[in-house]
Amino acid sequence: MAPTLVNAAVGALLAAALLGAAFDRRSVAIVVSAAALSDLDAVASLVIPGATNALLHNLWVPFLVGAALYWDGSVRDASWLRERVGWYGVRVAWVALAAFVVAGIGPELFGREGANLLYPVHDAYYHVHGRLVFSTQDGIVQTFVTRDAAGPGILPLQSPGTTGSYAIPTWVNPDGRPGLSLDAERKLYLVRTGWQAVVVAAATAMLAVRFGWHQATDAADTRPDDETTEVSR
Amino acid sequence: MVSTIVHAGFALLLAAGLLGDHYDRRALAVVLTIVVLPEVDSFLGPFMSGAHRTVGHNLVLPAAAATLLYYDTRLRERSALRERLSDRVSDRGAARWIAVAWVGLFVHTVAHVSLDWVHLEGVNAFWPLRDRFYALSGEIFVSTADGFVQTFVDVEIDPETGGRRVDAGEGGTSRTVHVSNPVEPRDPATVTDEPIDRRFPVANAGWRLYLIGLGLFALVARRLQGADRGSDSDARN
Repeated sequence: MAPTLVNAAVGALLAAALLGAAFDRRSVAIVVSAAALSDLDAVASLVIPGATNALLHNLWVPFLVGAALYWDGSVRDASWLRERVGWYGVRVAWVALAAFVVAGIGPELFGREGANLLYPVHDAYYHVHGRLVFSTQDGIVQTFVTRDAAGPGILPLQSPGTTGSYAIPTWVNPDGRPGLSLDAERKLYLVRTGWQAVVVAAATAMLAVRFGWHQATDAADTRPDDETTEVSR
Repeated sequence: MVSTIVHAGFALLLAAGLLGDHYDRRALAVVLTIVVLPEVDSFLGPFMSGAHRTVGHNLVLPAAAATLLYYDTRLRERSALRERLSDRVSDRGAARWIAVAWVGLFVHTVAHVSLDWVHLEGVNAFWPLRDRFYALSGEIFVSTADGFVQTFVDVEIDPETGGRRVDAGEGGTSRTVHVSNPVEPRDPATVTDEPIDRRFPVANAGWRLYLIGLGLFALVARRLQGADRGSDSDARN
């Protein structure tokens, strides 16, 4: 899996971009946790074969949560969630869901390990590798999406294998297979490549600027009243 | 170069996070212009050796611009920039565009210079003060065998003399380094009969496609989400 620190950093950037008036320490903590949450399936892989990047890296979980949020917020007459936690809670819930997909699953899908997008309905890891270039000699070169990719996948993406054939080593589970291997060397990656270092630095700077700003404006501004204020979206 | 589209994508995400109340189409356009414009140094290549990744891709000019902006808008009693902007738009407009300029500087440094710093031969970070390309690459991990390890900056200590050698990815100078780009697809020093292949990359790796996607996602999500409670309650009062 991509370093959890990178998932968290992208989650922080999304929080800053999308939370709007709901941006505060608590909501950022929730969104960043949602971004890092999917990496917990590495712990499950100690018991369930091949759970890493599969159990919490499929699209069904966020799809169901998203459908439930939409149904509650837009289809029902009165929203249960909005009654309980107000506008603030609804906004945080949507942004946390976005962070789970975009910041939690995204870096795996576009990174080296891949994500098992349709698990457990169809078991195959996918990753997006390739290039999209316009060349004056070769025209448009596009290798991200391939119809005839070898491998077990049914989506038009390259597939490195299934939960049976492809094990992803993590610091929790160094060989990627069930069972504790207490003697094995463990490596906890914080940053694996240069661009990940840039993303982590950008997220740190972003949070510093946004929270510094808040403190500067809080003195002059009265804090927005708490969650009892309800305004329809 | 990391494709300009990748810079723009990451810039959109950062701008959405920083612009706050100033977020709108015009502010985004200004920030994107600040981020993309330095790519013009590709066209200086034919006239100046190693101009690309040197003239528009350093940390000195953003730092100088930030210092000037800070001095003019915060330290001076009467800001020349604010007065000129107030004449053309309004006092509120002047404050808004100064805030947008700050965002543009931040985003340019992070989404453009830093991303190119980790790609190919890197950037000429301290030009014009010091002519030397730097390329950042490495990894950071904690291992049960080796403890905390980072390979971005190598520090070697000579066991005999005790002298220290620090390698932060230093490369050549603007005379020796050529970073290929569509204007000059290969090093002018190499002589070959092969036909010129100009390549305009959109994304040359999965993670670059990801950064483009992140920016577009932020843009679309901001459009789809409803108004903030803050602005709603303002309208009600």
